[in-house]
Amino acid sequence: MTASHATWRRALLSLALLVSASFVGVFLLGGGRAEVYPSGNSTEVDATSLTSQDSPAAANQLAGGRTLFVENCSTCHGIDASGGDRAPPLLGVGGATVDLWLSSGWMPLAEPTAEPERKPAKFDRAQVLEIVRYVTSLAPALPGDPGVPSGLDISHANVAEGFSMFALNCAPCHTITGAGDALAGGIQAPPLHGVTKTMVWEAIRTGPGNMPRFGPGTISPAQVVDIVGYVVKDIQRPVSPGGLSLGGVGPVAEGFVGLFVGVGLCLLAALWVGDRAETEEDGEHDGHDGPEGPDGDEDGEGGDDHRELAHA
Amino acid sequence: MIDALFTWFDERLGISGSGRKMLNKIFPDHWSFLIGEVALYSFIVLLGTGVFLTLYFVPSSKVVIYEGTYAPLRGQPVSEAFASTLNLSFAVRDGLLMRQMHHWAANIFVGSIVVHMLRIFFTGAFRKPRELNWIVGSTLLILAIFNGFLGYSLPDDLVSGTGIRISFSIVESIPLIGSYAAFFLFGGNFPGNSIVPRFYILHVLVLPAIMVALIGAHLGMLVRQKHTQFPGRGHTPRNVVGSPLWPTFIAKTTGFMFLTVAVTGILSALFQINPVWLYGPYVPYKVSYAVQPDWYMGWLDGALRIMPSWEIVGFGHMIPNVFFPAILLPGITFGVLQMWPFIEARLTGDHAEHQILDRPRDRPKRTAFGAAVFSFYFVLLGASATDVLANYLSISLNVVLTSFRFLAIAVPLIVFPVTYRICKEMQSVPTAGQRKRANIVLRSAVGGYTTVRADQRPGDAVPRVDPLPLDEDVEFVPAMAGIPVVSDDSPAQSRPEEPAPDTSDRPRGGIFRIPRDYR
Amino acid sequence: MATKTARVETITGSSHMPDDTEAAAGSGEPGASPRRVRIPVASVRADAPQFQIAAKNPRRAEIVAGSGFLMAAVGFAGFGAAYWQNYSNFWLAITFSVGFGGLGYGMVIWGKYLMPRGPFSESRHSLAPTQAQREVFIEDFASRGKVAVERRGFLVKALGLASGILGVVLAFPFIRSLGPLPGKTLRQTAWRRGSYLVDITGRRIKTGDLEVGGFTTVFPPDDIGGAYSQTMLIRVDTPPASGYLTPPPQFAKQRATWAPQGYIAFSKVCTHAGCPVGLYQELTKKMLCPCHQSLFDVTDAAIPIFGPAPRPLPQLPLYIDDDGYFRAQDGYDEPVGPGYWERGND
Repeated sequence: MTASHATWRRALLSLALLVSASFVGVFLLGGGRAEVYPSGNSTEVDATSLTSQDSPAAANQLAGGRTLFVENCSTCHGIDASGGDRAPPLLGVGGATVDLWLSSGWMPLAEPTAEPERKPAKFDRAQVLEIVRYVTSLAPALPGDPGVPSGLDISHANVAEGFSMFALNCAPCHTITGAGDALAGGIQAPPLHGVTKTMVWEAIRTGPGNMPRFGPGTISPAQVVDIVGYVVKDIQRPVSPGGLSLGGVGPVAEGFVGLFVGVGLCLLAALWVGDRAETEEDGEHDGHDGPEGPDGDEDGEGGDDHRELAHA
Repeated sequence: MIDALFTWFDERLGISGSGRKMLNKIFPDHWSFLIGEVALYSFIVLLGTGVFLTLYFVPSSKVVIYEGTYAPLRGQPVSEAFASTLNLSFAVRDGLLMRQMHHWAANIFVGSIVVHMLRIFFTGAFRKPRELNWIVGSTLLILAIFNGFLGYSLPDDLVSGTGIRISFSIVESIPLIGSYAAFFLFGGNFPGNSIVPRFYILHVLVLPAIMVALIGAHLGMLVRQKHTQFPGRGHTPRNVVGSPLWPTFIAKTTGFMFLTVAVTGILSALFQINPVWLYGPYVPYKVSYAVQPDWYMGWLDGALRIMPSWEIVGFGHMIPNVFFPAILLPGITFGVLQMWPFIEARLTGDHAEHQILDRPRDRPKRTAFGAAVFSFYFVLLGASATDVLANYLSISLNVVLTSFRFLAIAVPLIVFPVTYRICKEMQSVPTAGQRKRANIVLRSAVGGYTTVRADQRPGDAVPRVDPLPLDEDVEFVPAMAGIPVVSDDSPAQSRPEEPAPDTSDRPRGGIFRIPRDYR
Repeated sequence: MATKTARVETITGSSHMPDDTEAAAGSGEPGASPRRVRIPVASVRADAPQFQIAAKNPRRAEIVAGSGFLMAAVGFAGFGAAYWQNYSNFWLAITFSVGFGGLGYGMVIWGKYLMPRGPFSESRHSLAPTQAQREVFIEDFASRGKVAVERRGFLVKALGLASGILGVVLAFPFIRSLGPLPGKTLRQTAWRRGSYLVDITGRRIKTGDLEVGGFTTVFPPDDIGGAYSQTMLIRVDTPPASGYLTPPPQFAKQRATWAPQGYIAFSKVCTHAGCPVGLYQELTKKMLCPCHQSLFDVTDAAIPIFGPAPRPLPQLPLYIDDDGYFRAQDGYDEPVGPGYWERGND
């Protein structure tokens, strides 16, 4: 027909293409969930070397760690790690704490006044371990210091036991899907996606920030491995055979989809189905004494056919 | 053959007489009359998928050791209800699809009831003679919400179990009878072993049976009283304008039913709902953060959250905090909702019959009141996600909660005058809400500009054709395509109250003809 | 009786009046059966626009609708194949939706474009009967009732007695037997004087099991996993010189020895709606309820400082026995969990 009709039809066609493209895209994204949150460090350096602290070969590493510490940490924590006005002392905090705060990207802070937040770690694994080695060499560890786990093996973790312990001790803050949530007073329980098994282990044992600290008296070494196994194997790669997991926040997201997508699509279909098909003869070109006439054609499906038929 | 069969039934039941009238039942041609059908059809989806689910679901709290395919729960003690839900999701073919469709259909069901009810409210369709149907409809809404909650609780998972715990506290909070009612309903102190089987029989038999009966009454009253209609050309209080049941409406509505089913299916394909295996079985001392009920209970949850920490204690008795948001608020809500037709009639003094719908802008007070009340519940719904909002917006949870306390009061107070103003403004613009035809600006080769009106699109203009009365006298008799229609040559005699039908200049040869008489 | 007959006649005489639709057209001969009373259809032209279909090109509309049905056939066949091959939920659901979508699309096109596009109208009458009809009904109802019921007062009373007893008796199976009476179960938990604190596996908790800033969920040994006896044992701090955490002033005397060696125990059942208060924020020393975000201050006798909870969490008095195990000095001194009518001030 006329030019405007062709334009109109083209617009609808491209809209349809866009919708189907996003549909496919969303699906690929959903399928690729595991890629969105890569788990495990790319370079998992074995931390066993840390145990041999007195070997002569360690002197070099100690120097390297010192350099990194002085360059990146000493401004706030003091050159001898004894703390400063805006940062706590690091003497005796233990290797696990240092390792966790560095590999989670909480430290070093973006600005000296900023709040710690998840960001890509500034140092690679070897550098982190160098700093850990340096800081732990400054003072003897306090009793109960878990140390950096060496050779953490979760391949034989009992995920069922881990799930049970997770639901009891972790889910109250991190949510049962590990999505994380806001606690009172601006505190956040961070999401558990994209953290390494070592970080999970260290967080349980050291209780960073407001997180409680779970020692071997409450969660046995085997149970910690179970929990770490559950987090890394299942929380981070959830079984979602039903489609997009909607952020793992449960009925809030589901209700949103149900109302705005579900009921919305039904209403769009109703818009299309409910109105009388009109032909040009039906209408006079001025819109007087307008009844609550058909007032829209943003039909969900088959919109262009609808128009073509009426105007063919 | 079919003829003989029909005659057999007709002689015994007398279908032809009333059935003939039924064929001519008119359904208004306006999309908003289909919202209730969304509810009806999602209810049918619920029944269909629900029957499938009952074949595999085991309504029992008995603890068994899970031995299914889902590794993180293998070897764990779970209730039979939970184990069978997992089995349904992982081992039964189609099981997950049916579960997800059932849950999505429930969300759409309640949602479409609410939207339907808003349409009825804002257009004044509840007025005399339809007060009864409004009461039946709002009862259906209450039952739908309640049954949705029961169904959500059946899998006995960690998230829904927490909801049951809260509902026990809510029942317990009723003055005088609360603790007895809770003990009788749950078969003893929380958690007990009776919840799942009792909720099950309520969910699959008692409430659905009541709802089917009420839906029947709802539709029966609709047929008897006939539809309301919007004001429009040829629309009078003494007629209904639209499409006849047979064949036009049947075709459209059946198609619409299939589309509703398709929407439910699309949601089930794309979005996972209620993955109970990720939540694990309910254990009274375990809990997850970010627990919410389904959205239709969300406003109650939001009310519980933003309620100040008040409690009435005295004379050896207590009215607990949860009573106010979870018993009193829904009590007032549903009480006012049910009684609204009478409340409004009392306020306006309008006791006349109404068959023509109001346009919301013509009733600014009702519209503003409805919008304000609705916004209040919408704020409450938002308040049920305080923690999730605080997390996503990185605001302090305390700030979010305090803001919702403030918003729950402020938003309705703002919405009312704003809506009222908008209604008043729209009243003064007769063409408000009508689509305007586009103008196209053309630029000529030499640089001049001219304006022409765009081609008309459907919906641009108002139908020019008057409704054709379809009472006892006019018949649809489909003719074979190509056979010319017998022109009617008896003397023209217009009906007094109907304007002469428009004789268009289109060529003859429609596929329907009208016989002169009907026997 | 005479008046009544007369009234009935009036009704009969006026009974045509509600049926005035067709009569208004003036064509119905008296004596004709109602079905035959109709106006001639001459006023409606066979080629009236209302009877035309909306599609200008019916063939094309037919193809479109038909392709919808064909799409449905493909979709349903795909659904069958997906079921047979046990494909994922996505393929089952998407083929299912394509099937129903195609079906719906075709049906709507059919109904919308290939059937008379109207509009048509049907007439509507008020359902309200005339005042006279109503009066006759009421009169009949009342007079028959007078004969049948009013003189038989004894029968009415006897019937009422029987149904009354039935109603009362039915209340037992359908209400009373549904559950036990609450009794004392809401007032007391399984915690007793001397109860060991055990974790979910039944292991007794002893000093040193928890790190500073750690917590664990404990139960009395005879109610492990109990919904009401669940208790949060928190190691808040290293203890002051007295060996006990200092309670807030209002409990200075009563609770002086309830929290030995920096350990303190509160009921895990929220006083608001009964959820497990399992969120312990270690630095701020607050417990948060996950359901409705009530915040309890652990260092201040778990008094709610935010959110809807109206009462503090009850505190379990602890002591450490000679073997270093934690035990309860006594049960909770107030009902745990949410409020209820009989609870009163205690």
